[in-house]
Amino acid sequence: MIRVIAFRLLQFPLVLAVIYLTTFMLVWVVPGSPFGRAERKLDPIAEQAMKERFHADSWKSFLAYYPIQVITKGDFGRSMQYQEWSVTDIIKVSLPVSVTLGIFALTIGTIFGVMIGTLAAVNRGGLFDWLSLTIALIGISIPSFVVAALLLATFTGRFGLFPIGGCGGFREMVLPAVALSLAPLAYIARLTRISMLDVLGSDFVRTARAKGLSRFTVIWKHCLRNAFLPVLSYLGPAAAATFVGSFVVETVFSIPGLGQHFVNSVKNRDQTLILGTVMIYSVFLLTFNLLVDIAYSFVDPRIDITAKSSS
Amino acid sequence: MTALDQPILADAVEAPPDTPDGLFTRIRRSRRIRFSFAVLMLILLSSLLTMPLTLRSDHPWGYNNQYALPVRVGPSFSASALWCGSDTLGRSLIGRCLLGGAASLAIGLAAAVISMTLGVAVGLVAGYRGGWIDALLMRIVDILYGLPYLLLVILFKIAFEKPLSLLVRSESAANFIVLFIAIGIVSWLTMARVVRGQVLFLRSLPFIEACKAAGLGQWRIFTRHLLPNLVGPIVVYATLIVPSAILQESFLSFLGIGIQPPLPTWGSLAADGLSPALNPIVSHWWMLVLPCTLLAVTLLALNFLGDGLSDLFDPKAEAAKI
Amino acid sequence: MLKLLSIPLALLLLLAAAVVWSGGGAEEPRADFSFISRTDVNTLDIGQMSYLADMRVAYAIWEGLYAMHPETLVPVPGVASSHEVNPEKTVYTFHLRPEARWSNGDPVTAHDFVFAWRRILQSPGEYTYLHYYISNAETYCMRYARKEPVDFKTVGLEVPDPYTLRVTLPNPVTFFLDLMAFPAFYPLHEKSMRPFAHVGQDGRVVYDQQFTRPPNLVTNGAFKLTRWEFKRRLRLETNPRYWDIANVKSRSIDMAIVEDPLTMLRRYEFGKVDWLADIPSEIGSELMGMNRPDMHNFPGFATLFITLNCKPTLSGDRPNPMADFRIRQAMAIAIDKKTITHTILRMGEQPATNYIPPGVFAGYQSKPGLAYNLPLARRLLADAGYPGGKEFPRLTFIFRADRPAVRDWVQNVVKQWHTNLGIEVALQTLEGKTLRTRVNARDFDMAPGDWTGDYNDPSTFTDKFRSNSENNDSAWINEQYDRLVHAAASESDSAKRFRLLEQAEQTLNDQLPVIPLCHLTNSYLFRDNVKGINLNPRNMTIFKGVYVQRKP
Repeated sequence: MIRVIAFRLLQFPLVLAVIYLTTFMLVWVVPGSPFGRAERKLDPIAEQAMKERFHADSWKSFLAYYPIQVITKGDFGRSMQYQEWSVTDIIKVSLPVSVTLGIFALTIGTIFGVMIGTLAAVNRGGLFDWLSLTIALIGISIPSFVVAALLLATFTGRFGLFPIGGCGGFREMVLPAVALSLAPLAYIARLTRISMLDVLGSDFVRTARAKGLSRFTVIWKHCLRNAFLPVLSYLGPAAAATFVGSFVVETVFSIPGLGQHFVNSVKNRDQTLILGTVMIYSVFLLTFNLLVDIAYSFVDPRIDITAKSSS
Repeated sequence: MTALDQPILADAVEAPPDTPDGLFTRIRRSRRIRFSFAVLMLILLSSLLTMPLTLRSDHPWGYNNQYALPVRVGPSFSASALWCGSDTLGRSLIGRCLLGGAASLAIGLAAAVISMTLGVAVGLVAGYRGGWIDALLMRIVDILYGLPYLLLVILFKIAFEKPLSLLVRSESAANFIVLFIAIGIVSWLTMARVVRGQVLFLRSLPFIEACKAAGLGQWRIFTRHLLPNLVGPIVVYATLIVPSAILQESFLSFLGIGIQPPLPTWGSLAADGLSPALNPIVSHWWMLVLPCTLLAVTLLALNFLGDGLSDLFDPKAEAAKI
Repeated sequence: MLKLLSIPLALLLLLAAAVVWSGGGAEEPRADFSFISRTDVNTLDIGQMSYLADMRVAYAIWEGLYAMHPETLVPVPGVASSHEVNPEKTVYTFHLRPEARWSNGDPVTAHDFVFAWRRILQSPGEYTYLHYYISNAETYCMRYARKEPVDFKTVGLEVPDPYTLRVTLPNPVTFFLDLMAFPAFYPLHEKSMRPFAHVGQDGRVVYDQQFTRPPNLVTNGAFKLTRWEFKRRLRLETNPRYWDIANVKSRSIDMAIVEDPLTMLRRYEFGKVDWLADIPSEIGSELMGMNRPDMHNFPGFATLFITLNCKPTLSGDRPNPMADFRIRQAMAIAIDKKTITHTILRMGEQPATNYIPPGVFAGYQSKPGLAYNLPLARRLLADAGYPGGKEFPRLTFIFRADRPAVRDWVQNVVKQWHTNLGIEVALQTLEGKTLRTRVNARDFDMAPGDWTGDYNDPSTFTDKFRSNSENNDSAWINEQYDRLVHAAASESDSAKRFRLLEQAEQTLNDQLPVIPLCHLTNSYLFRDNVKGINLNPRNMTIFKGVYVQRKP
């Protein structure tokens, strides 16, 4: 096990390097300059001077400067759009906000998703099955910008329960976290329901019931653990995506998280910030996927991710 | 009813009986499938059958017949085109929603098909073969996940839209095809991971060992024993991809790299309607409510259909009562 | 059992830790005056700034030799208490007031100005071109950029003593004092920037832009920047050492950044802020319809138009029908602009037939251009060889789809051309930077455009269409126009200049390299207890005089 983890960890730098270089290539071939406004053309002399200041006058000088900085100092350089701020600064101020919100959202999503999925599976075909799933699915059937705006319109205001956007304490976090949790909640509910049905039909459940164990005990102790597997595979990428924030939710609730930069940096062709955000996301992604793979064998010790080719 | 009352199935080694007769009878018996199928068909057919009207430029229902109606009026029964109100350019919202349905459903289904084929194939191979193949495929998936999606789509459009429009001789068709691929290209990744995870689990179960011991060919194990056990998650996932693809399109449209106006989609109609509808001063609610309702109803129906179908294909579903 | 429960428990613990990590809680007391900006400040380096949000903060925390009068926008003495100018109007001598202080107490001297201006020429930004009005500045900038040996002494700046600055211009510039109030001409405090200086291999000094982040930033305006939370808010507090502190009305100003139009409006409606500075059209049009007393709509300093590519051939070697000015005229007068302003934009804009916004330059009179006239449009089209739009080549209108109002009016224009002229124009949405690249490369047929003036002279509009201008997106070349604009540039008599520029504008209105649609407006939302916000076309707020009358 430890050998496998070590091996995966050793792959990290390689995968990250591939992502960095590929992203760099994409950034370099996409038309549009990071400098100047959309409304008018920037003076070529000014543009050239800015490019030189950012080591971005040619792809060679870019590659000669930035990767070394990243490796030796962990420094992604200065944002080309927000020139006073280094990419590291931006990540430092916005990542905590996004991660907090992400954990909050994922907690809501997982707990309620698994609960609804399980109850729906147990009551398969019954009223509760329909009702709970409908509610869970509403969240992904309506665009997130609508849901977020609706939440804001309903629960804030003069006599509202929550402040109108912004970032800070617990109260500010509730609405955006709910908005952010709807997608994972729906996915988790659906996946739990279907795999729960699968597990409920297997032999050991019937055996357990035959032994006289109560319904609740069987579901709680025997089924949930096995039904959690597909949820787990979903949770890896979902956690990475949720932790780095969401453009829509952050815009609607005016939260200074990292999610907006994934969209804005591309819109602004902010080459250094694109690379920075992509690397942060990739690190999250690789870590969570590794954690999920490790968790597989905890949830079900029979699963052997170390297995060599089985043919 | 308790599990003891159920007929005890042979173990999950064999696939469900899939003689056409048995399958169809079961489909007809399932209320859930019948109902959601009816809803979907209703929406799909009304979108498709009204296309001769909604695509016309001189009919009041025409999707781009500007100022055929007064601007921003609420739903009324005075004219059929006004049943759902009109938009900022005086176009019939019902006409636009119907045509938008055809576009949105096409995008969603295309994404689902792409992710079904690519995602299932990659996930199956990675999970079943394990070892370095698994490592390689999963790292490729990781890398594709990590790349900035928007940048990919922008580049994709620039690179392919022009040559494609020369090839198919229509700008909107080229726009559509590029959009399908741009959305499909990332939607299979999660599917691949889910399928792989499931296969890892199944592979560890005794019945696969038994199959191998019995000398069954790999293809047979794949198709007869692994796939039937995967149908549940796959179908559920595919029906989840349809909504996310439709919503993804609305996001791309919002950034100006999605569908080409004046062609509508539900997502872009909802995006357009958002601020007029939620404006605390004057609310043009109908601009948001109609596209959102259609979206929600369709996606709910799709999901219930997915549930029903996966129950049907799942060899153990009948026994899943506790 | 416990094992499974531990997962949600762990998540909750993690959540608690994260809330602490993300640093919530402690809110500063509300500022005397607070407003919402749609975008964060891009940069506070005066040499690099170009966005409205940046300028707005710059006006508050810096002061140039001259400053804008809050109401009339006429230049009034700032750091300089007076100036002299020679009869040819080419040498300006500014006398700095000795009581002017930086926020750290140092006196503001002429050297601070020279330092700042030199830096702008050495690392140029979007508004460096304004310095080219000074003798030899352009040559210096070019040669410095090309890494050629060059002496700053050649530039027309002299400092006879620390409180006198002499500026030499090659040609008279009638609006030079206006320029002195523009951020590109503000001073910089060199001593506080020294820790951020890097000497490159070529011996040239480059300043790390972090010098603008509080507490590093030293400024000389009415306010100083005390907090800048990225993408959240900025906090300004009065600069106690400011020479005219007696006339500063608010002690602190908060600028919150809220991007979403509805969230922004909600914050204002529930009294969280005093002023909405940039009202997006999504909410503005409805507010306009309400006749609310707190909605202030007034003419702006910008024109909305359609840029037509005037090159003889379009990309892909297609012949360009729009190279013929009759076609451009036909296209322009076949658009009912009132539909666009009154049913789509709805922000109080008036349909425009001419290019320069009327009434923004005192003494300048724009003449009206060609009015909506369908029969004439059809005749012009037929004269140009396309009767009834037959065989008119299929052109493509490229535009950004991320702004609802643009999306709607572009669709409407294309539809109008189709019904009125029978010509077919395809639509293609592009994202902002791709569009700019295509326009810069002249690889487009037509695109929406707008132009906002930079300084208080019509040439800020007319210069765009000089045949050698970088911003002449239409690639329109007209010798008569060039001659007129050139003649105006060296004319020292203000009235004569205006007549020349009026003629130039008329050429534009007639030849239509761009089809003007309307002159844009500005809108603010503030209640009547907010005093001192001025509704000037240039959208400039002098925060010195702004305050809120609160109930005791």
